Amino acid sequence: MAAPALLSDLPKGHEFPATGLQITAEDALTYLDAVQDANRVYQDRGLAPPLAVAALALGALLDLMELPPGALHTGQQFESAAGVPLGASLTMNGRIAQRSERAGLIVSAIEFEVTVAGADAPALTGKTTVMVPAGAAP
Amino acid sequence: MSAPAVAPVVKTISQEQIDRYADASGDHNPIHVDEAFARTTPFEGTIAHGMLVLASISEMMAAAFGEAWLTRGRLRVRFRAPARPDDTITATAEALSSSSTSPKKSLLRYAVECRNQRDELLIGGTAEVPELG
Repeated sequence: MAAPALLSDLPKGHEFPATGLQITAEDALTYLDAVQDANRVYQDRGLAPPLAVAALALGALLDLMELPPGALHTGQQFESAAGVPLGASLTMNGRIAQRSERAGLIVSAIEFEVTVAGADAPALTGKTTVMVPAGAAP
Repeated sequence: MSAPAVAPVVKTISQEQIDRYADASGDHNPIHVDEAFARTTPFEGTIAHGMLVLASISEMMAAAFGEAWLTRGRLRVRFRAPARPDDTITATAEALSSSSTSPKKSLLRYAVECRNQRDELLIGGTAEVPELG
């Protein structure tokens, strides 16, 4: 299997393959323990923390590309349109929404959507901006 | 309706917590977890994941708005500087004007930020959530 492409080499419009995801109640607890969030609302409502969903999506995207040393996560957006139920089957779609090169730096913006199985529209959309030194290689 | 006040969240970031976040998120970038490697970088030591620090802002909004934040929250931020192990970070929200998206629905808007114990801005941006009730 070919090595994943470098993020900085991916052109605007590049579509990542759809990826199946899931956040179980145990995953959510592991995440909440790591971020030290003791709020019970997630378990009480049976909903995943939105940033846990975004982090899961980012993790899945990182499996589909290579980040060179020096890559910096410079911006993050997310918008919830519905809650993400714990344990639900999810599909993540992502793409390179923007790519620009300036002053020796490549800035790539990755858009992603997370959709609950059976839903017509994404439950969470996000945009991650990453800055990479031009010419950097792993 | 004026936007309700949102209580700040204060916490100290440890390397052990960064390591746990790396395991939870699957992001084991050595800049976060390998002190020897991180010392060779311009950061001169490990730094926390931006998403770990950002979680304090989401935690603050979830505490204030509960399910509305989980189902309809919006967050837009820039990472300005990294948090380091043993930093104490404070997430705050300051109400901005509400914006109406329709005659019946309006969003509460907040300027949100996260600063360290030296008052350096780590994260800045906006958060929006539907009006309660």
